[in-house]
Amino acid sequence: MRPTLLRTTMLGLLLCAVIPAGVWGQRPPAPVLPDWSGVWQMVGPTVFDTSTVEPPSGRAGEPGVRERPPYNDEWEARYRKNIEGIRNGVFPDPVNTCGTPHGFPRVMNLPDVYEFVVRSEQVWILGENGPNILRIYTDGRKHPAAEDMWPTYTGDSVGHWEGDTLIFDTVSTKGSRDSDVIVDRTGLILSDQLHTVTRMRRIDDMTIEAQIVLEDPKALKAPWRVTKRYRKQPTDTRAYDYSCAENNRNPVTSSGRTLTLGPDGKPIDKVVN
Amino acid sequence: MKAKHILLGVVALVCCVQFAPSLLAHHAATMFDTTKVIEITATVKELQWTNPHVWIQVYVQKAGGSREEWSVEANGPNSLSRQGWRPTSFKPGEVVTLRINPMRDGTPAGLFVGVKFANAATLGRWDPQP
Repeated sequence: MRPTLLRTTMLGLLLCAVIPAGVWGQRPPAPVLPDWSGVWQMVGPTVFDTSTVEPPSGRAGEPGVRERPPYNDEWEARYRKNIEGIRNGVFPDPVNTCGTPHGFPRVMNLPDVYEFVVRSEQVWILGENGPNILRIYTDGRKHPAAEDMWPTYTGDSVGHWEGDTLIFDTVSTKGSRDSDVIVDRTGLILSDQLHTVTRMRRIDDMTIEAQIVLEDPKALKAPWRVTKRYRKQPTDTRAYDYSCAENNRNPVTSSGRTLTLGPDGKPIDKVVN
Repeated sequence: MKAKHILLGVVALVCCVQFAPSLLAHHAATMFDTTKVIEITATVKELQWTNPHVWIQVYVQKAGGSREEWSVEANGPNSLSRQGWRPTSFKPGEVVTLRINPMRDGTPAGLFVGVKFANAATLGRWDPQP
């Protein structure tokens, strides 16, 4: 090989090695995604907005416990009706019907444990209780056109990464239009016009935080800001099946009362209607 | 049948509003009186290690010699397993002392609070009595 040809060849190889692929018209390298591996558990009780719960130690499902979302008058009245139903033991939790997803935003408010699967094109939030899966598309797609979208329990979520923060937008949830979605067992409900923007980030080694801003022109007078946190569990923690229909001894009557079945499958409650 | 009608010494009202109510993942606990805790000494029939809830079926001795079956509802096996429970935690035939939130309507069932086994081991909340 002549010296000139040798130099040209070596220069070409060098350029191939040092020039980023993007210069050649290929896709830029994927962003470095954060490590959200492992098993996580929501911090605190399943009260959706723990910052406004009354009384402060109140738990969802206990009679009289409530939160203070910025409801308009109509939806405040609906919420109070649900609270009264809980007091009287006749407000059903839709997930008592085995197989019904918790829906969004309740999927961010589950007991038991979570797994967060981060991939370049999607993030999956897997709730052990349910089962519940929230799929967040991060491949650049937008929400479907209105005519191609219909309300579902978890709606449609699209998002993107800004550094180590996942920002996703959720629309097209069922809300309470079929009385089949609640936000928590205090009786919180939202409409099918709900639009949320959620920012999720691992704020320290042990904690992932989700800041959720909820806007609902039917139900809310102002944006409702709620923060949920998830604590990392020991490394050997496993998530398991959750099969609600396996041995459901708490069916719900048509009036919304939750029954307790004895070992023979018959209600043992004195009041069953 | 109300707890006070059960054989003296078998069921004692502990009356503990300081006990925090148990959490149930699948349904509200409105059928249970979570402001009260009763204690029952019972013989294990079986442990139903199932979703959405684990059930402890036990027999309680009644005055007159007959026995009554009680159903004690606990949380799901997934979360309980992470708190030290196993499918073999309750063995048929063993005598245990259970603390439960009783049914509001007095029927023989309740929500699990804690258990003390014959060897003094405990699961759940077994706070000192007042």
